[in-house]
Amino acid sequence: MNKYALIIEEFACWGCKTCEVACQQEFNPIEEPNGIKYLSVWQDGPRFIDERLDVIWRVRVCKHCEDPPCVPVCPDQAIQKREDGIVILDDKRCTGCQLCMERCPFGAIFFDEEKKTAAKCNLCYHRVDKGLYPACADNVCLAHCIYFGNPAEIEKEILEKKKARASWKKDSA
Amino acid sequence: MEFRYSNIEREMEVYGYDSYVKSHCRMCHGGCGVIVYMKNGKVAKIAGDPECPIAHGTLCAKGLASAQLAYHKDRLTYPVKRVGPKASGKWERISWDEALDTLAQRILDYKEKYGPESIVFGYGTGRENEAVIYRIANLLGSPNVLTAGHFCYGPRICTSIITCGTNPIVNYENFPRCIMVWGNNITISNPDEYKGEPFSVALDKGAKLIVVDPRLTRPAARADVWLRLRPGTDAALALGMLHVIIQEELYDKEFVETYTHGWEPFVQRVKEYPLDRVEEMTWIPKEKIITAARLFATTKPAAIQWGVAIEQQINCADNDRLLMALMGITGNIDAPGGQVLNRPPNVVNVGQFGAHGMLSREQFAKRLGGERFRLASRFAILQPKCVWDAILEEKPYPVKMLFLISSNPVATRANAREVYQALEKVEFMAVSDFFLTPTAELADIVLPAATWLEMDYIGDYWKRHGYLLPRRKVIQVGECRSDHEMLNDLAGRIGQGEYWWENFEQALDYILHPMNITWKEFKKMNYLRGEVKYYKYKEAGFSTPTRKFELYSTVLEKMGYDPLPQYREPPESPVSAPDLYKEYPYLLITGARMPGFFHTENRQIRRLRDLHRDPIVEIHPETAAKERIREGDWVIIESPRGKVKQRAQFNLSLDPRVVAAQHAWWFPEKKDPGHGWDESNINILTDNRLETCDPAMGASNIRTLLCRIYPALKEGKNHE
Repeated sequence: MNKYALIIEEFACWGCKTCEVACQQEFNPIEEPNGIKYLSVWQDGPRFIDERLDVIWRVRVCKHCEDPPCVPVCPDQAIQKREDGIVILDDKRCTGCQLCMERCPFGAIFFDEEKKTAAKCNLCYHRVDKGLYPACADNVCLAHCIYFGNPAEIEKEILEKKKARASWKKDSA
Repeated sequence: MEFRYSNIEREMEVYGYDSYVKSHCRMCHGGCGVIVYMKNGKVAKIAGDPECPIAHGTLCAKGLASAQLAYHKDRLTYPVKRVGPKASGKWERISWDEALDTLAQRILDYKEKYGPESIVFGYGTGRENEAVIYRIANLLGSPNVLTAGHFCYGPRICTSIITCGTNPIVNYENFPRCIMVWGNNITISNPDEYKGEPFSVALDKGAKLIVVDPRLTRPAARADVWLRLRPGTDAALALGMLHVIIQEELYDKEFVETYTHGWEPFVQRVKEYPLDRVEEMTWIPKEKIITAARLFATTKPAAIQWGVAIEQQINCADNDRLLMALMGITGNIDAPGGQVLNRPPNVVNVGQFGAHGMLSREQFAKRLGGERFRLASRFAILQPKCVWDAILEEKPYPVKMLFLISSNPVATRANAREVYQALEKVEFMAVSDFFLTPTAELADIVLPAATWLEMDYIGDYWKRHGYLLPRRKVIQVGECRSDHEMLNDLAGRIGQGEYWWENFEQALDYILHPMNITWKEFKKMNYLRGEVKYYKYKEAGFSTPTRKFELYSTVLEKMGYDPLPQYREPPESPVSAPDLYKEYPYLLITGARMPGFFHTENRQIRRLRDLHRDPIVEIHPETAAKERIREGDWVIIESPRGKVKQRAQFNLSLDPRVVAAQHAWWFPEKKDPGHGWDESNINILTDNRLETCDPAMGASNIRTLLCRIYPALKEGKNHE
């Protein structure tokens, strides 16, 4: 069984918000001027992080946790984790009690004001199941910091990148 | 399961699209290849094209929202004429024939009564309509095309042509090992020639990073060295770095000896800027300047990613020239991974297409401001105030007609109140745009312009990255027409028919003919690229009068300017205006770029506006406390020219003496014809007196001035 994950390397994010608009495009008809989106990019800082003045962009999106705290709290079993790791919130079963929103440590579950249900990133399972990348991970990111696939392989890829980023710096040190 | 980026076949199958078209986005400076999926004759989805050699299939928020622009409910989809007073909002639909015949009649009348110079054409950060606009103006005999060229990209073109022949472009494909980002937030602005994508990849390969910026951008936060300079002192900082490089002999001796002109006097000039002096001017500790200079000069290849912020200053031309000096003497010019003087594909170039050769000497001599801003004028660039003066005071001669094509100067040009007055006064004005902007509301006739989705064109035609990419028409919206087709039609109605074409496709054939291909053939190609060759100067020298890299400009010398670059104190600073500084105790910087917007554009596109609801002014928390401003408050920002309001956001990375305001705000959601053009528009505050402009380019000094700030509440305004 494949394991799927959406991993964002926030270090590399520039805050261009392209992924937000890509998500919006996926879930709303072109005629809809705005509409729902399941991830948002926000600016953390400038502030002192590890004694260095820093500013970093954070992406608020469902992390499809290993052991998702939102699953057991749902009285309607509207949230399920699939064997491939994708955590799906079924809005048809959701009654809008918002318990999951309180429980999510990442604030990644939103309330859909129109449908009056909780809403979150379902990792574009409708695309993934047909062999397409999730909308935000389909190469839209100009920083190449949005990864989709097997979590172990992604971590390896990010580690390689970190090494490469440091390599030339070492040369000259 | 196998996953592939932008998997066209599967997208078509899964979503049941009818077709797709590959094209080339132009929501900003161009460059990004896109795939447009279609259903029932309408755009259904936009995706990046991984085969694009420039952005490699990545996009930005603007590109993805292109269809929301094209199908926007407020979009102008047919020509209109004004039937009430200016800014009354009273419009009546007319036919294209009536619109263009009216324009043609006006042009011919003014030409006869006041001379062709009384008709001024203009564009903003053009939609690749530059070449056609210059063509119609030059053939008419008007030397006056009003653009952003005096302070945006134009200076890079002019100063690079006189220094080394063409604009040196960062060669990301060969991975610079050190990148110095100067006054640019490349991953947000995706400026001319460059996209954030290759820059990001270069950093991922391990490039070292130096960032010069008064604000801590994310690139600055990632930098090995961040130089937080006093706004407007870029030239002093560059001279300080050059001082280190020359003193420590870190320059490329062979390049300097063999390929530069004016090394000795240049060194003498640089010696006038010892580091103690530079530290005092720039507020940057000299140790940091030394570290940055050494890092840049000793890491090969290295490149400078420059941005428009250095051009919207009194030191515009010299900032550009000093950064080129840094590129040159470190041996990075035309080096792989450095800054390359790219060759475009062999097509009819923009200068030829623009018919500059057809403008008579007599008419050239009448170019507004031409005697004062001689470098700009040489390259057909105007200083806007010269046009406003010609309208308001009829000096040196009256300007009677403006034809602004994709331009919203009441929000983007310095001293906006004066701009507004001029547009109110001008006898006849036509505008071509997507919406009835605050500028268009002052026009007599407004034409509905096509977006990039609605035109065939040769994309990135005047860029210097060496590529041409086909833009293929995808949809037709209402009666909208591309500026190219519209001007091709208008030209026929003012007697220029013999120089134009039956339809604009023939013009595209003409541009491509030296390559022996037609538009129809080019349309089937992904892109064209010019010859790729490095160190071309070693064989042929540089395309300058001395055939050398001109550190000492013989062209500027002939024009009567200082041939060596220098630092000028910003016209409104604590140093140059100490008395004013007592009343206006903060340095205001303007114009940091925001994702989703392109100058005044896209504020009516909800997906993009959702990213920034209100205009934001960034203030250091200590400063805010002193001025009794809370985060989120509406704040009045005031200069000697006027005041506007923006909303406070704290920014700990600013020097507490510096305040950073956003630019180009208006409010399309306000339905009165002013659309809130003067509420938050930072150019209400900027100065446009000619003596505050760059003496050679005429660049307006809009990036740094003095201001005071206080909560809007104090004025009795609503607190939201």
